[in-house]
Amino acid sequence: MKPLKRTRDITPLPSRNFKITVDDQSVEACEGETVLSVLLAANYAKVMENDRNVASGAYCGMGVCHCCQVKINAKHKQRACQTLVKPHMSVETLTNRFKEEGIKHD
Amino acid sequence: MTSQTHDKVVIVGGGPAGTAAAAELACHGLKSVIIDEAPKLGGVIYRGPLRKTDSLPHLDDNLKRAMTALQTRYQAHRESIEVKTQTRVLGPEGSNQLLLSDDSGLSRQPYGHLILATGCHERSVPFPGWQLPGVMLLGGVQLQLKSGLVRPGQRMALVGTGPLLPLVACQLHKAGVDVVGVYEASPFAKLAKEAVALLNKPKLTLSGMSMMSYLKKHKIPFKYGWGIVSAQGEEQLSSIHVAPYDSQWRPQRDLAEQVAVDAIGVGYGFVARTQLAMLLGLEHTYSKVSGYVPALDEWHQSQNHSAFVVGDSNGLLGADAAICEGQLAALRLAWQCGKITESELFSRATKVNNKLARIKKFRFGFDRFSDRQPGLLSLAQPQTVVCRCEQVRKEQLDEAIAQGVKDITSLKMRTRIGMGDCQGKTCSSYALDYLHQAGLTENIGVIKPRFPLDPIPFTLME
Repeated sequence: MKPLKRTRDITPLPSRNFKITVDDQSVEACEGETVLSVLLAANYAKVMENDRNVASGAYCGMGVCHCCQVKINAKHKQRACQTLVKPHMSVETLTNRFKEEGIKHD
Repeated sequence: MTSQTHDKVVIVGGGPAGTAAAAELACHGLKSVIIDEAPKLGGVIYRGPLRKTDSLPHLDDNLKRAMTALQTRYQAHRESIEVKTQTRVLGPEGSNQLLLSDDSGLSRQPYGHLILATGCHERSVPFPGWQLPGVMLLGGVQLQLKSGLVRPGQRMALVGTGPLLPLVACQLHKAGVDVVGVYEASPFAKLAKEAVALLNKPKLTLSGMSMMSYLKKHKIPFKYGWGIVSAQGEEQLSSIHVAPYDSQWRPQRDLAEQVAVDAIGVGYGFVARTQLAMLLGLEHTYSKVSGYVPALDEWHQSQNHSAFVVGDSNGLLGADAAICEGQLAALRLAWQCGKITESELFSRATKVNNKLARIKKFRFGFDRFSDRQPGLLSLAQPQTVVCRCEQVRKEQLDEAIAQGVKDITSLKMRTRIGMGDCQGKTCSSYALDYLHQAGLTENIGVIKPRFPLDPIPFTLME
């Protein structure tokens, strides 16, 4: 698995961390932080593709705008900004059920 | 309503208002339960870092002190305060109960008395390119700095209005971000006119001045009377156009300048977060500054549900005022429960009200300075998406209004605006302003919040 580097941390991570998977790459994470902070730390700007096939990044960062929804542990539409990381978590960006299951809008 | 149904006061929101209310209740022997969707008390403003860190080099001492004060306030009374974090309120269930969801599933929270301290969220102003990854709201940028401890970009600009602009600019710079410009929509002359109002909070005014001198020292341009025009980029944001604004905040496009950035913070104001108050059936009135706000008495209590609403969720006044309002509601409740006498109530409340009055005078000065002008509505072009979830374009609003739509519910039915995942929280302030601009001022209505306020996954119902 390709490692993903964190380049945007303001202070160093504590010594005891764990790994999560983001789009088949492994990245360091630590207790307490959100999926969004990990994504931003690893230089991700684009995180969601919505049901209308438009990509977006985190916008409000506080759970209101639903612009950072990603697939977490096989569940779609999880807000990256509202989900705390856990060991072995698997995050997939830029995907949704419309895309995966070939559902079309009228 | 008595406390027979449940002996604890239920407080929704653990920010400055909710925490202050809980602490004040505890002083008078009343127990409470605070429900908050975040993993930690403090609200968006005083939550602090979510992960462990040895230092906070990018945050100033005032903020660190306020974050500590909130925690101290809670710790001093923690035996009387039950805290349910990472818990969402889905709405009212039956009478005097809330339906909650957390990791373990759905649960009910009965209440005898209810204090809503749900805060606010940011006001979105659509402009061409605002959907590009890298365009963030100003508070969202700040949250990543304060709670996430990450830099949302390397080369950033801030656009908008109000005191958050210089504050976030300093925090970004101290966090190691290259801040290439700060653009305040209102002219400096307008701020100068508010000198008397600003003197009501001399310490805050001084700290604002020291921020401005920090920016100057580090050669970060701060332009008054300037604002966003558009954002550009392929996969993500690569540059923005900014231009001088006229007195109506219409951009003078011929004077626009291009600035290379990889992220920006946009902050043209906030909206009271009233979805739960509305679902509970509290009466609301429209305010230009705060959006729809509940109708309350001087103690922040509603007539038709006897719930208290405190902090920014009853009108935007900021964290210090939120603390005062939380205390006032708690004092009134303590009196209603027979814990303090009427003279105790009034003597304590007078002190809090005096403080609140000074904060309001200061705050109203900034409200006048940051009073959003109609030119902001002209930033979006006909093809610009105004509702992100449903990808509704501005020309569709124009078409609907031309065909006779006069209120927001019809606009929603006609265009699908506000029908997506965010339930109109992002687009409805713009849509309301737009209807007002079209000359529609009566009975425009509001996008009605629906139960549940947050999606309930099927797995929780098994």
